[in-house]
Amino acid sequence: MTEYSPFSLHGKHILVAGASSGIGWAICKSIVAAGGKVTGVARRADLLQKMVQELGEGNAFFIEADLATDNGIEKVAAMMPDVNGLVYAAGVSKMLPLKFIKRESLEELMNINYFSMVLLLAQMVRQKKIKRNAHSSIVLISSVAQQIGTKSSILYTGSKGAMSSASKAIANELSSQKIRVNTIEPGMVQTAMASEMEDVISAEAVEKDKAKYPLGYGMPDDVANTAVFLLSDASKWMTGRSLTLDGGRYVLLD
Amino acid sequence: MDKNHFLQSFAEQFDDTDPSTITLETHFKEMEEWSSMVALMIIAMVDEQYSKKITGADLREANTIEQLFERVSSK
Ligand SMILES: NC(=O)c1ccc[n+]([C@@H]2O[C@H](COP(=O)([O-])OP(=O)(O)OC[C@H]3O[C@@H](n4cnc5c(N)ncnc54)[C@H](OP(=O)(O)O)[C@@H]3O)[C@@H](O)[C@H]2O)c1
Repeated sequence: MTEYSPFSLHGKHILVAGASSGIGWAICKSIVAAGGKVTGVARRADLLQKMVQELGEGNAFFIEADLATDNGIEKVAAMMPDVNGLVYAAGVSKMLPLKFIKRESLEELMNINYFSMVLLLAQMVRQKKIKRNAHSSIVLISSVAQQIGTKSSILYTGSKGAMSSASKAIANELSSQKIRVNTIEPGMVQTAMASEMEDVISAEAVEKDKAKYPLGYGMPDDVANTAVFLLSDASKWMTGRSLTLDGGRYVLLD
Repeated sequence: MDKNHFLQSFAEQFDDTDPSTITLETHFKEMEEWSSMVALMIIAMVDEQYSKKITGADLREANTIEQLFERVSSK
């Protein structure tokens, strides 16, 4: 018989919002690898279906929903069984210099990156779907962008700053139910989001940026494994905190 | 799409360069004020005014403002 490991997710069911690609997809994979079950949420059902096929029916489930809408959020909260954890990895990014910002683009990013995170948690908590007094854990994928000031990143940085700040207040509110809330703040991770940025700012600029990362750009797995730690009982004394994953980019200076 | 209107919108993205010195023949990436930030402004300007998406590659491949105009028009 294998010994109990606090790093295992055995017996835990986790909801992952933004599960159809990139970091969210890698998190689903790592949850199942760590012995847990996962329900992935996103709009692209074909990709979610693939995820379930790869991870195995019985280990992985999916709900197709647009989290940018109240209907989508209600659908997820209604369909979900009680869970031991939730990861919010749904998000979009857009680079726009200050003078081009209009209410529409601000609302678009704030909506999915911040409002929907709060509203999904609100519904899940209201319906008592996050198990209480059972070491449940919420992990929010924010960004190192909210610690620094990259040009043209106002829309994104503001939405992630809101997420990171609010996470502490949410952690405080949920602490009496022993539900923990922590954020991960990654630097550049090689996903579709990163390739979109490459399209906008050119491959040369990306190469130059990559060279500034002592350990190079991150891979989705790097974030996923940290998420598993935060979801597991191994981190049961940690709440209201943030882990920066940036390959040393913003702390190891020449 | 009007070429001169494009030129004017392009020139508006610069703060320190006299707009009268910017012409359709200007090799824009050789301008003193050209930077990655100005590049992002051009991309945003094209999106806002012409509802067209251009990328860093379009800026790299065009040398003059006129060449960029042609690329944008063909999208
Ligand atoms: N890549 C990086 O360098 C990096 C760095 C720091 C933080 N992050 C954060 O990590 C998270 C994941 O990003 P990623 O890099 O993995 O990007 P990605 O591959 O584009 O994944 C984004 C995910 O969000 C989902 N999503 C977006 N809008 C949605 C909506 N309205 N309803 C439901 N789901 C929606 C997408 O699914 P559908 O399109 O199928 O709906 C997709 O699964 C984001 O919050 C991002 O800000 C990324």
